[in-house]
Amino acid sequence: MQLDFSSKETWLHRINPSLKLFVLIMLCIIVLLVHNLLFMMNFTVIVLILFLCFTGQPTKRILLLFIPFFVVFLSTSSSLIFFGQGNTTWFKWGLIHITEESFFRGLLVGFRALLFAILGLTFALTTRPVYLFYSLMQQVKLNPKYAYSFMAALRLIPIMLEEFQTIQNAMRVRGVVRQTGIRSVFLKMKAYSIPMLSGSIRRAHRIAVAMEAKRFSDTRNRTYYYEIGFSKYDIVFILYFVTLLLAGYYGAIKGV
Amino acid sequence: MERIAHVEKLRLKFPGDTSLLFKDLSSTFYKGEKVLLLGPSGCGKSTLLQVLSGLIPHSIEVPMKAEELVSPTSWGYVFQDPDSQFCMPFVDEEIAFVLENINVPKQQMIDRIHHHLQQVGLHLPDIHTSIQTLSGGMKQRLAIASILALKPDVLFLDEPTAMLDPKGTKEIWNVLKEVGQEKTVIIVEHKIDHVLEFIERIILFNEAGQIIADGPKEKILSTYKNEMREQGIWFPGVWEEYLDTTPLLRSRKPFEKKEKVLEVQNFKGFRQKEEKILVDDLQAYSGEWIVIKGENGAGKSTLLHAFMQFIKTTGHCELVGIAIKKVKKQTDFMTFVFQNPEFQFVANSVYEEIAYSLKVDKVDSREIEIKVEELLEWFQLVDHWDKHPYQLSMGQKRRLSVAASIVKEQKLILLDEPTFGQDSKNTFALLEWIEELRLKGTTIIMITHDEQIINNFATRIWTIEAGKVISDEIQSMNMKTELVSV
Repeated sequence: MQLDFSSKETWLHRINPSLKLFVLIMLCIIVLLVHNLLFMMNFTVIVLILFLCFTGQPTKRILLLFIPFFVVFLSTSSSLIFFGQGNTTWFKWGLIHITEESFFRGLLVGFRALLFAILGLTFALTTRPVYLFYSLMQQVKLNPKYAYSFMAALRLIPIMLEEFQTIQNAMRVRGVVRQTGIRSVFLKMKAYSIPMLSGSIRRAHRIAVAMEAKRFSDTRNRTYYYEIGFSKYDIVFILYFVTLLLAGYYGAIKGV
Repeated sequence: MERIAHVEKLRLKFPGDTSLLFKDLSSTFYKGEKVLLLGPSGCGKSTLLQVLSGLIPHSIEVPMKAEELVSPTSWGYVFQDPDSQFCMPFVDEEIAFVLENINVPKQQMIDRIHHHLQQVGLHLPDIHTSIQTLSGGMKQRLAIASILALKPDVLFLDEPTAMLDPKGTKEIWNVLKEVGQEKTVIIVEHKIDHVLEFIERIILFNEAGQIIADGPKEKILSTYKNEMREQGIWFPGVWEEYLDTTPLLRSRKPFEKKEKVLEVQNFKGFRQKEEKILVDDLQAYSGEWIVIKGENGAGKSTLLHAFMQFIKTTGHCELVGIAIKKVKKQTDFMTFVFQNPEFQFVANSVYEEIAYSLKVDKVDSREIEIKVEELLEWFQLVDHWDKHPYQLSMGQKRRLSVAASIVKEQKLILLDEPTFGQDSKNTFALLEWIEELRLKGTTIIMITHDEQIINNFATRIWTIEAGKVISDEIQSMNMKTELVSV
């Protein structure tokens, strides 16, 4: 099974991954602190522009990935809007009670959820894990021990998916699927998890031994195949957010 | 001669085992030697290799003690599983990982990567190729290339071709012969026909982890034939000897067309909406032993998966005269034995494992007992009936997976390379059991690469090439094949 999300390279790909990670985490913290709905909407537009236009993914895939998060947005905001508390009633029918306060709070929380999702997706779609870990080792001085174990673990995911499919077929042959009831759910979980866990543990151990056989050691003193530094794109990236967010904030206060 | 690796009075015990694996084992290896370690599975050959390289106890913590232990300073280790020795996703990154470990400057890396790939004959259009897209043979070549990046004096090879088909095996040994010429090479391997011309010395182990012979290969091969046969080692001539001494095969009943078990016409199998296998017209009758052959990736497993309806199929497919999609419980009529037995174990003990399918069908418990005991007896698992399936040896796991699959006496059995990685003793036993099933009227459809199985057991051969069944030959009993249809 192939998990391929490769795409065209855009300027977002060329940003230093550690810096990108840091900036996006900062943005997430800012999102948490924003309580002005207009500013939140401007914020969303600013991030959406990056997500929709500069991830280098085909439009179809972007929209497809967007669907679940849009659903999250709708469900979060609608539940708060319909059942929230407030003083200024706009509409009331049975359990549904929409007030001015609940409406704005609903939208605010909805946008917040959406923003987190888009920020995360933008990062994931424009960053190769290998570059991220190389950058973390070089810029943040992450211990290579952790960086390489993460990279090795990422390699295991597609292998595990394949195993999962094989076990699923095997279960079908043995008639596991035909059982019904709660007991069978438990049995099924056991039937999947034990072979998959035992397989993964064994494989992880083997990879670890293989890595040490290739002279991987705990020392931080090593050369790097990818030397990741900073470039003008990093400045563009930071300036993009600083200027547009300031503009967005100003606009929100002025009521635009 | 210069001594390059040495152990004196090695004692080693795996935690949880009741007895020592090695008791006062001593051995010496000299510079430039090509040595083969032979012995039954579980005798500790791989463990010795790990001790000699220093992986035990540095990377794998196992309690051990030796009066003297000399490990080579510069060595490389090739493991058997192509899928679990890489930690990076791309070919160039994997070799670069090794170069980084030994502090090669970045400027030299690209040239070194190209050089090592050249050495193992891995010619890729782009070195930044995903490792996952490589075949097993290519992955093992990459493993060798990344070892060569260490510029080792000693190569430790732990069954490097155990997971490969005959073609991949041959390629790997050709590469190893070339790159290993100047080096000391210590090998553990079961399939020894390609290895023999390369090595000079053989060390033979017994089941108790003792060295029973150590010397030049000609002498060992001629003197210790019986021991090797007992241990299930694939020494040259083992097939011929087996065929000469087996009455079952000489009195083989030719098969006569009786009941039609499987019929497909214009049958296609799809994976992710892509057509992966195409069959124009094929039939399988009761009492047939059909072998599917073809290169790796040609679509052999896909065909079996299509028969089992694991993947989407179109076209005409009839199982015992009923359209397959209308058969309510397909597993009542056909069964599938997977390549990796562990994936199909669902129960906690050998006994429960065999009884499982019957219990699901709510068969009478007396009946289950009789049936399971019969199968335990037949597949020589009686002594292990209460063990967890994972505790069994490779051969026992394989036997259990077959026993558990055929418990419902299905008319059609599909097997995906059941003899893969098995020693000769287990292989012959398994083939004889399958032959007995065939004589009872069961239809066998089996994937194998083994020419000997094809020549001596198959009654019909389907050949697959590039996702299409291109020939269907009946094999008559006097070993001549005739073409039926294409």
